[in-house]
Amino acid sequence: MTWVNILVQGVLIGGFYALFACGLSLMFGVMKVINLAHGDMAVVAGYVAVFLAPKWHVPEVWSFLIVVPLFGLLGYVLQRTLLQKSIDRDPFTTLLVTFGLSVIIENLLLAIYSANGQSVNIGSLVSKSFQLSSSTYVSYVALTVLAVAVVVLGALQLFLSRTNTGRVIRAVSDDREAAQLCGANYKHVFGIAAAISFATVALAGISYGVMTQFAPTSGGANLLFAFEAVVIGGIGSLWGTLVGGIALGIAQQYGAHVNPAYQILFGNLLFLVVLAVRPQGLFGRKEAMA
Amino acid sequence: MIAQVKKSSFFKKGMKIGGTTYTFEIIVKDSQSNPSIAGQVTQQLIQGSGVDIIVTSSAPETTIPVSAVCEGAGIPCVSTVCPWEAWWAGVNSSNSIGAHGNAVGTSPKYCSMFFFGVPEFVECFLPMWDRVQKMTNANHVYAGMFPNDADGNAFRAAWPPTLNAISAATNGPAWTFVDGGAYTDLSTDYTSMIQTFKTGANGKTCDFFVNAPLPPDFNTFWKQASQQNWNPKLATVAKVMLFPADVYALGKLSNNVATDCWFAPNAPYHSSLDGVKASAFAAGYQAQTGQQWVQSMGSTYSLFEVVIEALKHVKNPHDRLAVANAMKHVKYTGMCGPLNFSNPQGPAKGIGTIKPVGIQWKPGSKSLVGGKKYAWSPWVVDNTLNKHIPIQAALEPTNK
Repeated sequence: MTWVNILVQGVLIGGFYALFACGLSLMFGVMKVINLAHGDMAVVAGYVAVFLAPKWHVPEVWSFLIVVPLFGLLGYVLQRTLLQKSIDRDPFTTLLVTFGLSVIIENLLLAIYSANGQSVNIGSLVSKSFQLSSSTYVSYVALTVLAVAVVVLGALQLFLSRTNTGRVIRAVSDDREAAQLCGANYKHVFGIAAAISFATVALAGISYGVMTQFAPTSGGANLLFAFEAVVIGGIGSLWGTLVGGIALGIAQQYGAHVNPAYQILFGNLLFLVVLAVRPQGLFGRKEAMA
Repeated sequence: MIAQVKKSSFFKKGMKIGGTTYTFEIIVKDSQSNPSIAGQVTQQLIQGSGVDIIVTSSAPETTIPVSAVCEGAGIPCVSTVCPWEAWWAGVNSSNSIGAHGNAVGTSPKYCSMFFFGVPEFVECFLPMWDRVQKMTNANHVYAGMFPNDADGNAFRAAWPPTLNAISAATNGPAWTFVDGGAYTDLSTDYTSMIQTFKTGANGKTCDFFVNAPLPPDFNTFWKQASQQNWNPKLATVAKVMLFPADVYALGKLSNNVATDCWFAPNAPYHSSLDGVKASAFAAGYQAQTGQQWVQSMGSTYSLFEVVIEALKHVKNPHDRLAVANAMKHVKYTGMCGPLNFSNPQGPAKGIGTIKPVGIQWKPGSKSLVGGKKYAWSPWVVDNTLNKHIPIQAALEPTNK
């Protein structure tokens, strides 16, 4: 592959990683919850798009119009009930609870929809691309996912820095007790953050379903990439997550160029190097690590 | 499927063995295609339920651990839908595959199996390559997508030498292999590999494609191949696109993708249990489950046929070694055609070989199983290996 192609394809797949990681980054940044069921939530979104959306007469291409708000609601409710209860105990409980959720979701999906692979069908667009140079083709689907990732992360960044709710979310994330003293209802704020997180993971799940085929247990593999993107970019920084995802994508493409066996390995190596050299991540603040 | 087995008089009324009539109880367990769960449920069946015989199917992830546990516990076991090479080396760790693809070592004491192996994959796919090559004047250069897992590494090692040996034996041309590399399962991007296939070898692009990937990886790969404008003249895939689920997930890109088929409803075969024809068997499955027939139903059915054939030759069904030995001598014709577990030309004692035919996925038709039209159906397009199974449609290039 040429350098141009490595960079282009790396950025494209990196956009997907960033979209996938966005919700994980937000939940960790705001409520310090590592949602181990994050990948499974994306898979659930895929199943809703494939099986339920058509029942409500929504074509699979437009399924995000209902799946995203639905997941926002689900995120809020889940946060205010189960997740909040576990946060109230200790961080270790949230790990166990989200891990338990992950297991339950996988087995429920298996019981309802069997282990058969599914894909979100968007017609012939999935195989279309345009030619950038003699050997570089850009897939419309991958480009759309990248654009969605940039828009979502950009909009979120604006929301956090420019709106009142956004400021409260940041305040709670920085110092929960102080924000509470100033009258912030941190439980509601956590709910909103979870709602945003789930809405973005629904987008990621549908994108994933378009790009490939998923099964009840597909969530785990992508959770690792998402986690790497968050850590590389820096915890608490949404632009960092975008850059982290893209850096991961490029590292993987370069690895694949050297030898296809090294594709995943080079991504993991980048992750390790960042952890060793700059543990707070490329855009993370030092105190975030404390 | 089990319901169809239970319809036969052997399973309905029982079977007379050594003067006593025995009835059967069938217990079904799900391995979730997970090796550790497969091992666990096998232990449960042996220790908890006290079963006498275990049959198992579908993919090395299930059949190898189940067979290995049975071998250790001394329970007769017959399995299917797993390349025999992987099973041979997997059940008994001191066994291996020799330089000529032969079985080295000794047969498991309690376990038998039937399916086919790399040579049959080659013999099934190569005639289709030759035909499409002549049709389109394509290059004799092929792409291999083999992951870094048990199946993938076995294919990478065995496919090129076996292909060239079989091609040379029929005075065919030498084929040039382009290796996509030992990629990791569940990778998200295959652009680099696709670029390698486009470049090909000796200035010629890869016009043929063979693989042994996980289903989601083929789905990702095949979409990206189309996006990256790599359109091989013929794709013959192994391990994926065997069942309708993969095909529907891929949609239109499934058109004219070819693979192997070990049970075809249009075959002139019938049940050795109750004489039901292959076509009626498949139609019955569709009527009962409301789902499209799958080729594994034939091989799963044959597992029970093999058990009955073996039990016909023992005096006591609880004599485990006698049952296991009888399985190694089974020779009969049933739902999957003739099977011979002690064929001197076979890979080893206790391994029966099915001769697969080539199929392509094309839009369905009412002329197929049960008169029901499905969006996609497998059509037999090449019967070089088994002339008994009639051709249903013309072989077409995957990409024109």
